[in-house]
Amino acid sequence: MFHKSFIRRQLTRSRQQTVVFVLCVVLSMVTLIALDSFSRSVNESMLMDARTLHAGDIIIHSHYDFSPTLDDAVGSLVKQGLIQAARVYDLYSVVRTAGDKDSLLVDLKIVEPGYPFYGAVELKSQRPLEKVLTQGNIIVEQGVLDRLHLQAGDTLNVGEATLMIADVVLHEPDRPVNFFSLGPRVFVSSRDLEALNLVQKGSRVDHLYLLKVQDPGNVDRLAAELRDVATPDRERVDTYRTAGSRIKRFFDNFLFFLDLIAIFTLLLAGIGIQSAVTAFLQEKEKTVAIMKAVGATNRFITLQFIVVLCLLGLAGTVLGVLLGFFLQNFLPFVFQGLLPQNIRTGISGWAVLKGFFLGVFAVAIFTSLPLYRLRDLKPAVIFRKEETGNRRGLPFYLTVLGVVLVFAAMILWQLRDVRIGLYFISGVGVLIALATLLSEAVLLSIRKRKIKSLPLRQAFKGLFRPRNATKAVIVTLTASLSVIFSITLLDKNLDANFIQSYPEDAPNVFFLDIQTSQLEAFSRELGIQAEYYPVVRGRIRSINGEPVDVAREWQRRGDNLAREFNLTYRDYLLKDEALLQGESLFRTGVEGVQVSVLDTFAEANGIKMGDRIAFNIQGVPLDTTVVSIRTRTKEFIQPFFYFVFQEKVLKAAPQTVFTAVRLPPREISAIQNRMVASFPNVSVIDLTETVQVFARILGKLSGITRFFTLFSIIAGVLILVSSVLATRFVRTQETVYFKILGARRSFILKVLTLENGILGLLSALIALLLSQAGSWTISRWIFDIAYHPFPLWSLLMIFSTLALVVAVGLVSSISILRQKPVIFLREQTEE
Amino acid sequence: MTILEAQQLTKTYRLGDREICVLDGVSVAVAEGEFLVIQGSSGSGKTTLLTLLSGLDKPTSGRILLEGIDITDFKEEELAPLRNTSIGFVFQSFHLVPSLTAIENVMFPAELRHDHDAEEKANILLRRVGLLDRAGNFPHQLSGGERQRVAICRALINNPKIVFADEPTGNLDSSNGKAILDLLLELQKERRATLILVTHSQEIARTSDRIIFLKDGRIAAHGLGSHQGGRDGFSEQHHVS
Repeated sequence: MFHKSFIRRQLTRSRQQTVVFVLCVVLSMVTLIALDSFSRSVNESMLMDARTLHAGDIIIHSHYDFSPTLDDAVGSLVKQGLIQAARVYDLYSVVRTAGDKDSLLVDLKIVEPGYPFYGAVELKSQRPLEKVLTQGNIIVEQGVLDRLHLQAGDTLNVGEATLMIADVVLHEPDRPVNFFSLGPRVFVSSRDLEALNLVQKGSRVDHLYLLKVQDPGNVDRLAAELRDVATPDRERVDTYRTAGSRIKRFFDNFLFFLDLIAIFTLLLAGIGIQSAVTAFLQEKEKTVAIMKAVGATNRFITLQFIVVLCLLGLAGTVLGVLLGFFLQNFLPFVFQGLLPQNIRTGISGWAVLKGFFLGVFAVAIFTSLPLYRLRDLKPAVIFRKEETGNRRGLPFYLTVLGVVLVFAAMILWQLRDVRIGLYFISGVGVLIALATLLSEAVLLSIRKRKIKSLPLRQAFKGLFRPRNATKAVIVTLTASLSVIFSITLLDKNLDANFIQSYPEDAPNVFFLDIQTSQLEAFSRELGIQAEYYPVVRGRIRSINGEPVDVAREWQRRGDNLAREFNLTYRDYLLKDEALLQGESLFRTGVEGVQVSVLDTFAEANGIKMGDRIAFNIQGVPLDTTVVSIRTRTKEFIQPFFYFVFQEKVLKAAPQTVFTAVRLPPREISAIQNRMVASFPNVSVIDLTETVQVFARILGKLSGITRFFTLFSIIAGVLILVSSVLATRFVRTQETVYFKILGARRSFILKVLTLENGILGLLSALIALLLSQAGSWTISRWIFDIAYHPFPLWSLLMIFSTLALVVAVGLVSSISILRQKPVIFLREQTEE
Repeated sequence: MTILEAQQLTKTYRLGDREICVLDGVSVAVAEGEFLVIQGSSGSGKTTLLTLLSGLDKPTSGRILLEGIDITDFKEEELAPLRNTSIGFVFQSFHLVPSLTAIENVMFPAELRHDHDAEEKANILLRRVGLLDRAGNFPHQLSGGERQRVAICRALINNPKIVFADEPTGNLDSSNGKAILDLLLELQKERRATLILVTHSQEIARTSDRIIFLKDGRIAAHGLGSHQGGRDGFSEQHHVS
């Protein structure tokens, strides 16, 4: 059944084609395997040490001070010796140096003795935390010392207390990554809590109870008991196994996004596999025709090539798995700064299995079409030297449809999210369709043009060479470049809007947590006309009688309805607001509580005028009716609220106030120092500094994204190489004829350079057009920011593509350029 | 006047462990405007001699002089302008560029030397060979005879001093073959070019000025064609011992 020597011959000859094929198989799986193993490692590192990640067995969280019932319940369990408990307060505050000369926004963590129950806070001095963090002492991150030019032993004003810097913190177990923090960490002992006077009613404080259960078997039971006494929607009781982690949630989302890019690469590599197999089988056409002429059946021939492709696919799969693990070990460097310190990468059996499955699957679906074409090959090919076109009948289109459907199913299986999977498939489909249509239109217009210059004309002719994968190369390169260009353009636009040229009229300093009792004095001290926004926290219970499914909402990838919302009250529209629906913000003569909803929230959640939204405002139920829908007329750096109530409804609720003002940048520091000296509980966020943090995060994330998108560019390059290999005979023939007719090497080089240059230029231009349109749409309609086309960056991206395609095209054509005319002619005569 | 001279040309190939001598000390001088036929059985070395004389390949030893200039050691870049302007080729398998139309194939050598009249010259030649109406056709849309006529036009567009033809009628039926040969000879005479032609055909050989007969890589005999008073090819031949 198997012809071993035939199979061996096919494997050892046509080496270039087999190498490209194997590389495409490798590429199709390497990013998916690497990401799969990597996300497993991240998850395992976080879950395996989940106790350390949360620093306790049971974690109780609230944005408010704990209810007396819960406090009592915890106290009772402590008394019974069933648990140990430690209170933790986490809040942003501004600290000042002695004499209030300098100030800095820091992330304060006020902890009771006992914290952390699991893991350890590592200090520079290597001493234990409890020995250093005593009353009157603080421990700070190195950033505090660097930015305020202080050293251990100096004092710092925190709230209303003056405390001494006793040590520097290197690592804390329950904050494995501090990349996203707006300010450096400062640890304060709970014995100084009162002296600080920072934790007041309505302040933005994360209240935590960390509990260590003496008998691990009691964790779930005690958690359930405490859950029973906790205030619903306000106090969340979790065990270390069920507690969510922001960092884990971030990784889930980001790795999911990278998975989409990896699947995109798989698709492009699949096209590469198909292209390489086509080139490989085209070279075998004469052999196949001779076999058929001497009586070999289609079944026999197809079987031999299936074995050949399976062996090559296996080689690619093994190599892909190995490289996937190599890349996985390299990923911690790519993600540097974003990862927890304890991350351990390793080989996962499941990832290996999945890798093999993916490799075999990719080979099977993407080689089916070229193998199918082999059946149509007639023995008469032996006698023909010219190219024959491919007939495309119903079976061909059915095979294409089958390949598309199977691939779509694989994407859905990989993503495990049907909605996003379908969006992704549609998006990629639209992208490929647009790239195909545009390249088709451009190629058609080129074909009809009369070109005077001989090298240029010859280069254009080369694009339409029989069997040239011109369209496939342009479509693949266009699709991958569109993604990379879009990421770059969006990155640049976000940078331009928020980092480089911060809007001149936008507020640049936020004063948070102003107590209502301080409002008058604060306004006087600030001395600037400013809008003050009261903030009342509340949750949504139900919409139109449909209760919010908390568990499901927390699974959502975007904003979720179960979170706590900032509500406000006023009876007028802000300057940057306009009504979309409703004649006024609130109606007169309407019974019940009215609420005005922002259009973005309404659109995302299908809220209409007249809908009923039930809130829980710090334990008080409030049923409301939507009476107007607002929109914003300026960029989102202006403060905004999803829900606005009438003043009479919320005025009495526990609240804080914040304001956002525009200050001359040079005066920010002095005003910040002055204000926090007078109002130590007020947090000041200098947005000009905050945007630097966002710039760093944005830069890192787009860098990682670009790194993964580069693999799709490699797929495009491989398709280009396989296209050169597929047309090798015709290209060599042309080169030899040109030489015989007196063309110099420089002429042939010029033609090749121009041909590849046109290919690269067309791909880059179409990709730029698509990415400019896509980035403009996202900037205007999703980010709501002004759009800049970045012409210089666009040119740079075009030239980079041009250089890459020309270089790859020329390198893969070296052997063609070196071909001696007499040898080629002799081979042709001998045939 | 001698336009092309070969002195003691030897060409050997290595085939596995064996060294095969295809040409063994062949010397020949070709006069300007002469029609020289090279004959011999398969494997006698006639095509090899043609490729050496035309500079497509390099001899293992010996010299080749074109218009008195030794081109034996010319590099590809030095040979390129010679091939473009001084030499024309006609092959048995036509070797037309598949992606170019008939007229583009003919124009190509003229365009390479930036001849602004390339199109006009190509049109004249195509009209002369009766293919003006097929000028826009690609090679695969032409018959064998038509392709060879296009190849002849291409070989002559730059008015080369020497035309090398390697069995130009080998792939054609007898009537087409005769027509092509008549055309080639007509054009050669019109343009006073030297024609060096490899063929098996005695009939063609008879119409030449001179014939050399190769056997086992050596000139076994040479004689005069009917143009030089020979009666029947090798009837006036001189056997070389």
